[in-house]
Amino acid sequence: MSRILGWLAALGLAAGMIMAFGVAPREVTQGNVQRIMYLHVPTVLVAYLAFAVVFVASIAYLWRRDPAADRLAHASAEVGVLFTGLTIAAGAIWGKPTWGTWWTWDARLTSVAILFVMYLGYLLLRGMIEDGERAARYSAVVGIVAALDIPLVHFSVYWWRTLHQPPSMLKPGPASMPEGILAALLVNVAAFALLYAYFVAKRVIVLRREEEVLA
Amino acid sequence: MTYAQRAFIVLWKDVVTERRSKATLNALLFFSLMLLFLFQFTLGGDRERLVSALPGLLWLGFVLSGLVGLGRTFLLERENDCWDGLLLTPGDKSAIYLGKVAGNLLLMLVVEVILLALFALFFNVDVARALPALSLVLPLGTVGFAAVGTLFAVMTAHVRAREVLFPVLLLPVEVPVLLASVKATEAALAGEPLSAVAPWLQLLVAADVVYLVAGVLTFDALLEG
Amino acid sequence: MTADHWGFVLAAYGLAAVVLAGYWRYLCRRDRELRELAKTIAARPARRGA
Repeated sequence: MSRILGWLAALGLAAGMIMAFGVAPREVTQGNVQRIMYLHVPTVLVAYLAFAVVFVASIAYLWRRDPAADRLAHASAEVGVLFTGLTIAAGAIWGKPTWGTWWTWDARLTSVAILFVMYLGYLLLRGMIEDGERAARYSAVVGIVAALDIPLVHFSVYWWRTLHQPPSMLKPGPASMPEGILAALLVNVAAFALLYAYFVAKRVIVLRREEEVLA
Repeated sequence: MTYAQRAFIVLWKDVVTERRSKATLNALLFFSLMLLFLFQFTLGGDRERLVSALPGLLWLGFVLSGLVGLGRTFLLERENDCWDGLLLTPGDKSAIYLGKVAGNLLLMLVVEVILLALFALFFNVDVARALPALSLVLPLGTVGFAAVGTLFAVMTAHVRAREVLFPVLLLPVEVPVLLASVKATEAALAGEPLSAVAPWLQLLVAADVVYLVAGVLTFDALLEG
Repeated sequence: MTADHWGFVLAAYGLAAVVLAGYWRYLCRRDRELRELAKTIAARPARRGA
């Protein structure tokens, strides 16, 4: 099963690269550096997907105490943190030539950075509790609280950035979405989503094997 | 015994314990005083800069002392072998959670009021006209901290590196509350009407509700074993 | 015409490729190790008695 996902992901990524570099047009205002968007945006969207899965799996675990739900939450959080880190890195690399600085406290980067630290904390908590059952319960609670916090983080950071500033705080990305750009974006989102699914599937298998073997 | 009574008993026990020993309160007050000195030394003699940074410094002080206080929420139970007592409580254990939140809220508010007075004194700032507004903003913000802090304190009580893990878990989650509280405090100290920062206040209320509900629903699961 | 900054594009995609490939290899390696471990445990002589 995970093998199929792996191949689909590989295909998707290949298609995504072709779209990003072959099909999508050169962006008018930023030039070709804008192509980083086909990496930056899919990784952040898939990260949100990952944390949504953590939320649902955490609730499912607290409700049913099914170890499979716990493994899913753990795996999804790990892959989510990975993708979030990539989002930040790609965003910074994109920002340097376009904004002139590696980091800026704009709404999106700041929110994503907070997300990153929240779920890194989730993984840290898991790492520090030896008892598997307790780790599962505790991280489920953190997974739930963190996910509930996401909209609050978004609103607060966005208002913090825009309420006393002109709303022209530029976000990297074209003002309107010419067709080629939208299509390339969608293909890459799908590709990274498949990659996420593949990674989570494999990680869950590894977790299960760990439980069986090291128990 | 009703749910409310059980919650109140937990609150009362903590208040009485604290009133007798004053251990936590004294430590927090001393800590806050040291923070005040630190702010003065690090931000130098530039009064303009200090005053303009005051809302942020105030909440920095509240948060840092809050971290110390919140982290100790279940310390007594843990150290005195009372943990099983908590586990064996009949009925809905979330009453314990609310009692603990109320206790933490009270403790933090006392420290905050004293710290506010000290700030006004040492930095020569007039906070009198902002008091009505602050008496709304401070509790709203503090509930946000106490609600999640109390919940996470249960977890970190069982972890080795609890002093490190507790802030790492709590602070990112509290960013919205912190932002909203600082912005609202800024408005209050500047003499603006609170209606000017209505969105921030609404966010605080929403956050408080979300956190308390989440805490009530999940506390039971944290207490098992 | 604005500069293209291909170096940055390469850096971003290159970093992503390295990190993702690294994670993938970690997963594959861990899976292999655990399968080996499971085999050696299964291959041990069965314990006698209950």
